[in-house]
Amino acid sequence: MKINVGTISSNRNGFDSIANIAARTKNICFDSIELDLSSCRFFEANMAAPLYAVIARLRDELNNVTIANVPAGISTILQKNKFLNVFNQPELPDTNQTTLPFKIFKLTAGDQFNDYLDTYMKGHGIPTMSEALTKRFRQSLFEIFLNATIHSQSKSGIFVCGQFYPNKHRLDFTVADAGIGILENVQRYIREPKITSCWAIEWAMTEGTTTGNWPGGLGLKLIKDFIEMNGGKIQVVSRLGYYEFSANGRFPQEMNSDFPGTCINIEINTEDTSNYYLKSELKSEDIF
Amino acid sequence: MSNQIKIKIADLIGSPLCISTEDSQKVFEKVEQLVKAGKHVTISFENVTMLISLFLNVAIGQLYGSFSEDVIRTQLKVEGLSSDDMELLKHVVNNAKKYYSNKKAYDDAWLEEDSNEE
Repeated sequence: MKINVGTISSNRNGFDSIANIAARTKNICFDSIELDLSSCRFFEANMAAPLYAVIARLRDELNNVTIANVPAGISTILQKNKFLNVFNQPELPDTNQTTLPFKIFKLTAGDQFNDYLDTYMKGHGIPTMSEALTKRFRQSLFEIFLNATIHSQSKSGIFVCGQFYPNKHRLDFTVADAGIGILENVQRYIREPKITSCWAIEWAMTEGTTTGNWPGGLGLKLIKDFIEMNGGKIQVVSRLGYYEFSANGRFPQEMNSDFPGTCINIEINTEDTSNYYLKSELKSEDIF
Repeated sequence: MSNQIKIKIADLIGSPLCISTEDSQKVFEKVEQLVKAGKHVTISFENVTMLISLFLNVAIGQLYGSFSEDVIRTQLKVEGLSSDDMELLKHVVNNAKKYYSNKKAYDDAWLEEDSNEE
C-alpha cells in the first residue's frame, strides 16, 4: 500500500495530514506500507515525533513500513535529526546544531530523558537562554514527558524531538505517544461517555483536574502560564481533538482524522528575557 | 531518637532528579510514617537539580489526605528550595487542600447515589 505524504508543518493541517495516514491504514496488519514523500515540499523536523506515533502503531501490527522518494532537502533535515535512522538510513552531522534529535524512550526512562536534554540543550546551536527561561522550559518538558509515561499506556514508548528555528527565534519541542489518548483517560475518571476529545483536552488543561490517585492537574496549567508569559504556544493533539493555546487565546478544534495517541508540541520564544522568579520570598512557614 | 528528623530527598531517592512517581511515593510514605509517629520533619531539597509539580503532588500533596492542615503546619518544614520552586510547592499545597476538600464532597455524592440505588 502506498500513502502519499504532503507538506507537514507544525500546525493543525500538519497534524491532520499525519492523522490521515493513520485513518487510511486503520486495521491493516502484516502488510507493506510505503510512505511516499515525493509531494512533500516542507517537513518541520519536530513533526517526526507524531509521525512516528502513527508508524509505531503500524509496526505494532507487524506491518513493514518504508519511506520513499524523500526530496533531498527534507532528507537532509530528517537525517540530521536522526529520524531516518528508524528506516535504517544513515544520519548526517547536524553542523548547525539546531536539532534535538528524534528519540524513542521507554516509559521508565525519565533519567535518560534528562541525559538527552543535558546533551542537546547545552552548548549547541540552540541559543543561550536566560537561566530562568531554561529552567521553566525544562520543567515544562519533564511535566509533559512524565505525564505521557504515566497516562498514555503507550506500548511503543514515548517519541520526542525538537528543532530550533534561528530566524524565528523559536524552539519547538514535541512529545508524542501511541497510547490511549486523553479522552479515554478522562472518560474513565469522570464516568461520562459522551464527552469529546476537545472537551477532554480542555478539562486536562484546567488547574486542579487530575485522573490520578493523588492531587494533581497543575503541570499543564503551569505550562500554559509560562507559555503566555513567554509569548510561545502549546499544541495538544489527542485522537479527534486539537487544542492550541498562546497569548492570543485558546483555539480548540476537531480534527478531520483520528490521531492514534497524544502529541504535545511546545514552542517557546528563545529571546524572552522575562524574570520568572517571585518578587517576594516565600518561607517554609508560609507554605503549609 | 530525636523528635526532629531531616530527610534529604536526593539521598533518599538516590538521584538529584525529583521527577518520578515511584520516587515521590517513597518520600510520601517515609514522611507519612514519621509524622504519624509525632516527629517533626524537615524535607531538604539540597542537591536536587530538577523538581516538577507531579513529584510534589505525590510526595507532599498527598499528605493532606492523611493529616489535618494543623498537623502538617506544625510538624513539617522544607528547606533547600529556590524561590520559584517554593512558589511551585505553594501551588501544589493549595491545590492539594482543594483536592481533598472536594474529594470528600465527590465521595459523599457518589456514596449518596449508591445508597439511593439500593
